[in-house]
Amino acid sequence: MLLPTALIPCWYSMISRVERQVNLNSHDFHSKLQYEIENTAKFLHPINSSATNLAGVLELSLNGTKLSFSMIETKVAPPLFQAWSTIPYLSQISYTGLEGLFFSYYTGQNQTLAVYSNSSYNSRSSAPNVKKNFNCYIQHVNHETGELYGNSIECPPLNLVNKRWFQEALNSTNGYASLETGWNNSQDLILLSSARINGEGVISLGFSAKVLTARFTSIDRQGGSLYLATKDGKVLIEELKNTHMVLAGNMVSVQLKKPNGEQKVLGNVSCIIKDGSPRASTLNIQGTEYMFYCSSLDMVGVQSVYVLAFPQKGLVSLVRKNRIVALALLIVIITSMVVSILSFAFIFVRAAKREMHLCAALIKQMEATQQAERKSMNKSLAFASASHDVRASLAGLTGLIEMCYEEANPGSELETNLRQMDTCAKDLLGLLNSILDTSKIEAGKMQLEEEEFDLAQLLEDVVDLYHPIGIKKGVDVVLDPYDGSAIKFSQVKGDRGKLKQILCNLLSNAVKFTCEGHVTVRTWVRKPSLQNSIIASNRNGLMKYLQCLFRKSNEAYNDLEAMNATQQDPNAMEFVFEVDDTGKGIPKEKQISVFENYVQVKETALGQEGTGLGLGIVQSLVRLMHGDISIMDKEMGEKGTCFRFNVILGTCENVSCNNAKAEDLEMVDGSHTPELTLSTPSPGLWLRTPSSKLTVHTTPSPKVTTSHVVLLIQNNERRRTSQRFMENLRIKVSVAKQWEHLPSTLQKIKHKENHSCHNSSGKSDLSSPSGYLSRSASNNSSGVDKDVPLSSMDGSDYILSVFKRTTPKFASSFILIVIDASAGPFLELCRIVAEFKKGLHNATCKVVWLEKPMMRNINFKHIEEDLVDPNDVVISKPFHGSRLYQVVRLLPEFGGTLQGNSSKLKEEIKFQAEKVPKDPSSSRSQTYIENSSTNKHSTQQVELQDHGSSIEETKRKSMSPIQTLSHVGSKPRSPPSNGIPPKEQEIQEIGNSNDEKPLSGKKLLVADDNVLLRKLAVASLLKLGATAETCVNGQEALDLVCKGLSDQRKLGASKMLPYDYVLMDCEMPMMNGYEATKQIRKMEKSYGVHIPIIALTAHTSGGEANVAIEAGMDVHLGKPLKKEHLLEAIRYIDAK
Amino acid sequence: MEVGQMQRRLIEYTKSLFMEGILDDQFLQLQQLQDESNPDFVVEVVSLFFQDAEKLLNDITRALDLQSVDFPKVDAHVHQLKGSSASVGAQRVKNGCIAFRNFCEEQNVDGSLRCLQQIKQEYYHVKNKLEALFRLEQQIVAAGGSVPMMELSF
Repeated sequence: MLLPTALIPCWYSMISRVERQVNLNSHDFHSKLQYEIENTAKFLHPINSSATNLAGVLELSLNGTKLSFSMIETKVAPPLFQAWSTIPYLSQISYTGLEGLFFSYYTGQNQTLAVYSNSSYNSRSSAPNVKKNFNCYIQHVNHETGELYGNSIECPPLNLVNKRWFQEALNSTNGYASLETGWNNSQDLILLSSARINGEGVISLGFSAKVLTARFTSIDRQGGSLYLATKDGKVLIEELKNTHMVLAGNMVSVQLKKPNGEQKVLGNVSCIIKDGSPRASTLNIQGTEYMFYCSSLDMVGVQSVYVLAFPQKGLVSLVRKNRIVALALLIVIITSMVVSILSFAFIFVRAAKREMHLCAALIKQMEATQQAERKSMNKSLAFASASHDVRASLAGLTGLIEMCYEEANPGSELETNLRQMDTCAKDLLGLLNSILDTSKIEAGKMQLEEEEFDLAQLLEDVVDLYHPIGIKKGVDVVLDPYDGSAIKFSQVKGDRGKLKQILCNLLSNAVKFTCEGHVTVRTWVRKPSLQNSIIASNRNGLMKYLQCLFRKSNEAYNDLEAMNATQQDPNAMEFVFEVDDTGKGIPKEKQISVFENYVQVKETALGQEGTGLGLGIVQSLVRLMHGDISIMDKEMGEKGTCFRFNVILGTCENVSCNNAKAEDLEMVDGSHTPELTLSTPSPGLWLRTPSSKLTVHTTPSPKVTTSHVVLLIQNNERRRTSQRFMENLRIKVSVAKQWEHLPSTLQKIKHKENHSCHNSSGKSDLSSPSGYLSRSASNNSSGVDKDVPLSSMDGSDYILSVFKRTTPKFASSFILIVIDASAGPFLELCRIVAEFKKGLHNATCKVVWLEKPMMRNINFKHIEEDLVDPNDVVISKPFHGSRLYQVVRLLPEFGGTLQGNSSKLKEEIKFQAEKVPKDPSSSRSQTYIENSSTNKHSTQQVELQDHGSSIEETKRKSMSPIQTLSHVGSKPRSPPSNGIPPKEQEIQEIGNSNDEKPLSGKKLLVADDNVLLRKLAVASLLKLGATAETCVNGQEALDLVCKGLSDQRKLGASKMLPYDYVLMDCEMPMMNGYEATKQIRKMEKSYGVHIPIIALTAHTSGGEANVAIEAGMDVHLGKPLKKEHLLEAIRYIDAK
Repeated sequence: MEVGQMQRRLIEYTKSLFMEGILDDQFLQLQQLQDESNPDFVVEVVSLFFQDAEKLLNDITRALDLQSVDFPKVDAHVHQLKGSSASVGAQRVKNGCIAFRNFCEEQNVDGSLRCLQQIKQEYYHVKNKLEALFRLEQQIVAAGGSVPMMELSF
């Protein structure tokens, strides 16, 4: 805005200056023109004096003599001719005498002519009539000599004497100039300059006005018009069209000539000269402005006036006009500029305003969202903690019901009611657990608890758990060993509990929705790869890379990082689980929604209870373990659903390969296989069969006859999986689908055997278990070389790498018959087998009976002696997992000791089945040891309680709100490798706990800020026989411990602890329990002791426990302190 | 009143306390800790609880009256109260504390005030009951009888 306002005056002044300059220039030009005109006139001035001069010359030559014509001819004519020839612009020259004598030269018809009149009249005497006779002649003149020649032509006389100019010239001494018409025919205007000679005659010189005015008109006037007139009104030049100038005194009036002859006065131009220059006046003639300059001029002695008229349309008017137009344009431009700037500013402001508004709205929305999220989070948290407490009370309820149940009279109505209550409470607990899990997942509190565990064991446990339920419904639950990879990488690190939860959930669903057929669980391992592991958040690859590139520190990226880290871990393997059932199946369109919370597929869920939370939790858990779950498509015609999920688990060191590459190497070149200790699925503690130490390598020589297994299993799936498993182990397998087919199958085998093995020794090397052990040990050292180079990489590699073959020292073939005892009438089956054995010559035979758990339908007592071989093995169903492996190990190739039917060796085979739970909903476990004794022909069953399980059970009940203790406590107590049965220890401890003062002689330090709790703790400890010291905060506790330690050192018993245990409250003023513990741990290091510290918190969540353990505390207990918990904790510490 | 009758009444009364859920088995534990060496253990502990709880309740009330409530502080107080009440087995007070802590986490002033009111009510309730119980016990002792031990039938 400022710029244009500053520019306009600037521009205006510039334009004004230009205009002034232009004005000045034009003025200069005009005055120059005037000057030129006047100059021209001045230039012509000398002509004026030539007549006078000539007259002077003639006067002298005539010397006052009276002139006659002849004298004129001789005396006057020659000078006249000379003058005629020399004076420029001269058009006529004459001598006129008073008497009428006249001689003149003039130009006519491009020739020089002379006019003369030779007769004089007596001016004084002659009458006017005389004059009539006066003659005049025209004759040609030779223009070189002035001689007259040719005929003289008579012409009318010229009466010059009476003319005014003649009189004037005669009377004036200096001559006289006037404008006259010439005497040639054309009557041209001439300027006549005349002078007298001796008072008798006049010399006149005539200049052509045309020639003279041409001098003026030839001046370049640049469009200006010139008007020239003598003072007496004779117009010489009039260039302006349609105008007429009338001279009146000093004024020139300009008149417009109209076509009809009228004249209109337009204005007057003053010719008074002021300040040396003529004044300019402006007149409008026919729409055109003219500048008029008027000035007088001496024109060859004739006084005249000239007027110069310039049209105004020249430069000045152009500039003037342009100035206005330019100004207007400029104003328009500036205005439009201003308008546009204003509108732009307006738009900008409006846009900014709107943006601000949007921004504010966005912020508001974001705040609202955050608030909502926070609220939801808080709700979830509150929900999680609340339901946690609900669960605690519910657990108490179930415990109470159980106690009442035991006391109630069997068969009474009360008992029935209590049982129903128990069921209800357990259902409620299950429901609550699932809700709790969901809320926990929602609150993001779900964390993986890594621990080492045996995957195969876990799988078998889970499957066995659901087997009885399945059997009740007529559904077989089968654990498919698949390619055996899961057995090989059995020792894994991961969250055991959650994996079990996932499997349980899927299995219970499968069993629930399956009415007939089977449920199969299979597992295999593969190398974790980016393609295989389905990323929980379905992000495509490009986005992932972009995120990596941009390094955005959002959570998703962190997740990704974590996942990548998991995958880069060389020990991490991807485990794929499949739960396959033959139930109703899930319709395709419902498959996606199945994993959403609170969704149940209606068509299939009819009559089935449940919240619909199960699969949602399962999915969340699987994703937590870096995997994904999906429903696999089944072949057309196949019934049921197949859930497949994968999780990433870390494999443990005892698996030979550390990473995938090494594994490949090992697979191809088996000679580098390090010793593979098979970690049996059941803890070594209970396994007393020597085969558990199986580490023997062998080469299957083609010459040695291999064993043969006959399977009679009713269930198709189980038969198929067992058969495949054994075939993968390169065992010959024959199957019989029904018991009726058994004889024919056996017949075929017998036939073959009796033909092929003629030269076999038939005697078996009966080695005792100890002998076997030594052998296996020796084989172990040397047998490495004999390893089979496994060229092919099929699924059996895994199994083969688990079950090392051994070279049997006998040549006779071995036949193993596995019979499902419920497949047919038992007696009939026995008979068939006995029949078969009788006919066998050089092959050993062993029979494995499969029977239902808890249903001792094989009553050996009622069977004749010769029918049942004492070496027969009876194992309980289900026939998979460890039981399957045990059976395989019966084969001589896999280390089985051989008992031929001819042998009478009284050896006990202890066969131990795994823990078979009675009821999947309770984790109470039992162990069966089957004892097939030789001479009694009966199979005894010894039932052993799991180590103090009933005591354990009650204990668990009372501590159910504090899971952490049982969790922490149970971890290191799993298989004690020293082989000491923990039974005695356990019993002793139980005995201790029953004692009134189990802690007598112990000294404890209690650190708690709350008087009440302190008092309580001290009282409890005193009751238990211990002595207690108290302090009120962490600092005091630290000081006391410090003092105690230094005192001990002084006494020289530095290894003695100042306090046997420290009970530490976690939240105290001055110094909290965690900090105090850290300090104590730091300090005691220099003494080389470890003071057990038991944390006490009122928090019941696992998070606090973890913090406590991290701080260096040994055990974490919930408040209020209970005797049992304390004792349990102390036992745990002592066991460490 | 006859001693035997009083003893029966005491047992009935104690039982009713358990039935109503005012006390839980922690109180029994307390009773078990009491023996000849410190015959007034339960009374001592419970009166300690009363002192503690009254102080804490005052603190909480004061903290909640403030313009800007310092929830972590309130939460700490409630936590202590919860510990104390759990120690003597004042179950209802303890449950109230659990609910209170949820409100603290949510920073919900209204809920907290409501909860506080409830806890106070429960506290006075349990206080009255326990005082009555102790009076009864004292009467029995004064009458020359012995305080019968509750069975662990709970």
